[in-house]
Amino acid sequence: MKWLLPVLACWSVQGYAHQIPQTQSGLNVDFSVVANWRSANVVDEYQFWQVPGTLMGGHAYPARQGVVVEEATLGLAYRFDANTYGVMALASHAGDGEHASVALEHAYVGVMCCQENGPWVAEIGQMSGMFSPRLARHAKDRWFADADLAHDVLFGRHLHDEGVRVWLHETKGWSVGLEGWRGKAFPATDHSNAGAWDVFARYQLQTTLWHALVGGWWYEASAQARADHRYGGGHQHTPIAPPGQTAPLFADVRYTGDTRLAGVYADLRFDALAHGRVGLELEMIDAELDGVVHDGIRQANLQATQQTLTVQPYWQWQAHTLAMRYEHIRTDNQLVGAAAPRLAQESGLANPEQITPRRYGIAWHWQWRDALALRTEWLRDESTERARNRVAVGVTWQYRATPHH
Amino acid sequence: MGNLTGCRWLTVFSLVVCVSWMSGCIEQSDTLIDDQGARLSAFNWNVPDHIPLPHEPADNPMSEEKFELGRHLFYDTRLSVNGRVSCGSCHHQDKAFSDGVARPVGATGERHPRNSQALVNVAWYNNLTWANPALGRIEQQVMLPLFGDAPIEHGINEFNKDTILDSIQRVPRYASLFAAAFPEQAEPLQGDLAWDNIVKSIASFVRGLASFNSPFDRNEHSAAARRGEALFNSERLECFHCHDGYNFSNATIDRGITQLEPLFHNTGLYNVDGLGAYPYPNTGRHEVTEVASHMGQFRAPSLRNVELTAPYNHDGSVATLDDVIANYAAGGRLITQGPHVGDGRMSPLKDGFIVSFDISPDEQADLVAFLQSLTDHEFISNPRFSDPWASEPENTL
Repeated sequence: MKWLLPVLACWSVQGYAHQIPQTQSGLNVDFSVVANWRSANVVDEYQFWQVPGTLMGGHAYPARQGVVVEEATLGLAYRFDANTYGVMALASHAGDGEHASVALEHAYVGVMCCQENGPWVAEIGQMSGMFSPRLARHAKDRWFADADLAHDVLFGRHLHDEGVRVWLHETKGWSVGLEGWRGKAFPATDHSNAGAWDVFARYQLQTTLWHALVGGWWYEASAQARADHRYGGGHQHTPIAPPGQTAPLFADVRYTGDTRLAGVYADLRFDALAHGRVGLELEMIDAELDGVVHDGIRQANLQATQQTLTVQPYWQWQAHTLAMRYEHIRTDNQLVGAAAPRLAQESGLANPEQITPRRYGIAWHWQWRDALALRTEWLRDESTERARNRVAVGVTWQYRATPHH
Repeated sequence: MGNLTGCRWLTVFSLVVCVSWMSGCIEQSDTLIDDQGARLSAFNWNVPDHIPLPHEPADNPMSEEKFELGRHLFYDTRLSVNGRVSCGSCHHQDKAFSDGVARPVGATGERHPRNSQALVNVAWYNNLTWANPALGRIEQQVMLPLFGDAPIEHGINEFNKDTILDSIQRVPRYASLFAAAFPEQAEPLQGDLAWDNIVKSIASFVRGLASFNSPFDRNEHSAAARRGEALFNSERLECFHCHDGYNFSNATIDRGITQLEPLFHNTGLYNVDGLGAYPYPNTGRHEVTEVASHMGQFRAPSLRNVELTAPYNHDGSVATLDDVIANYAAGGRLITQGPHVGDGRMSPLKDGFIVSFDISPDEQADLVAFLQSLTDHEFISNPRFSDPWASEPENTL
């Protein structure tokens, strides 16, 4: 497993949530807290965050003004023997008021085998999707406090589901795998037998000067009467606003149908500069939706193509990282049916101003101490009808305890 | 060296893909909305854009000419056994086409067992009358007061219908009105075809009685009304579960609705036998279906213009809006004297949303203010819906 260490090192800052615990015996512990102060809300109080032209859901809660404990995570990993391990992770994420919660994100066991042809790894349990490395990142792993806009819209911020994964692990630079999901996580629902599945492949090259990781994936999900559980779904209570303010009732529009996504990504880094290293990360996703948008009594057919782009160049020097990020989502939706105007309005798919949601910003990340990092960022958010600027200042405390031999 | 070359190649490849993708992505976003003609109609409904249009029957599409003919017929007392009753006798425009009495009296003096319903946005109801799940077309419903005999309302029957039609044919204005309304017919005012046209025209007028211009609709309701609106939509009072949507009734249907179960509710108004029974013959949906569990179930009426439609409930037995709210606050009505003694609060057939709640006098005043904000004053004074005979000298008719 010597090859594993440099791989983990590559992801040490911009890491992602999967790990195979190192070969030492004992418990690996990873604890982190991320807190941020933001200068502005994404949307006004008592309003719903809805990126025009999209169907949102999951846990994509809008960032709030002021100080927020963005997330706290506790990860445990244990190697039972040379080929068997278990991983468990709890995480709390800032929600929208009462929606902040603690969730079991990881609870899975893995088995490795066939070292001569791999290794091949099989994992089962509650896991993050591995197909997109950026999707699996937490706030502690990112240069920016906010998750990628594409992941907020297409996956409800992150994807943790019950499932099975079988993959070829970093063999001659290749990782190839198949994941089958129960379908608990947005954009799927677990009401149907269809659930969700994905395949992924990536190739990694590492030289003295260069690091390159490129990959692609395909994800399919089926949903039945999928609600936007951020604000709707199940029994709804009328929001209460103070006198003089309005708290509209959320229209509980559902989606039944298929979601097919294809993505490619690259993470390129050049280490030969005199003053640090430069890198470029990008991910592009094409989403196809084919289904029905409906409430209890109305419905309209939906055919949608949504394309996202996330580009993130960065420059690192010693403990400092300067990163920029540009994101946009192009939507091309067709909603057909007598109730289409109403459902388009209520679901958020209507886009009368033909907005192509964009967001761009710049972040400075300083790894001040081994366990402490500071972050400052400026963001121009044009993902809704009203463009906003916001500044964020944050701190990340991350503690790792790895047992010794 | 090989790896280095590979990395460069990957870099170039990635950048090419990125640039290609970006060039595609910067196209403008769009959402194409095709309502498949749901806003098309030959009739000007005069409703705001956000209100979906109602269905129009294929055999009686709306037209301004039929609406106008229907208006004349609606208010014409000739359409009764003794020339004393028109549709407008029990449906007054200034009362949102209700009549202000508990139970109306027909042409022959027979009292109707149920309260005259307001004719407000009737086109948007999925079933008509107080509790008939089988009655979905206004054309069917119009036949009941015209030709029904239990109770007698207009009193038209096989023996007098020719005489009544003759009185209609004698009015000069009707010849042109019928000709305009049914231009495809050679003799629209003759024989059985004339009666079919009369029914269709009255139905067209009733269908065209649209009311969506209240202070609430214009977002001009008072602070008290807004507080009342919040109460109305609260889980404490539960009002909005049955009186929901733009028409404040869960019995609403429009061109955009693809499925709707008929919904009827027992509000605990009576419990004459301790088992939830309502006084005969007003047993609600049960009167039609004879299913025991349907006892006392009535359709939730629209609350638009409800301020004007007292007295309330299916038999007009509740005098004011405050009394209605008091019954709901108690979780049903307790009757301690008279022929219908019983505790509706204890009815086993009561709807699950009829639960008691506490409401202060101030809150009740706010709730009433909200209900009053649903009054459409233009609707009740619009000449388009008014009696065309009212201002005309008798000899010109």
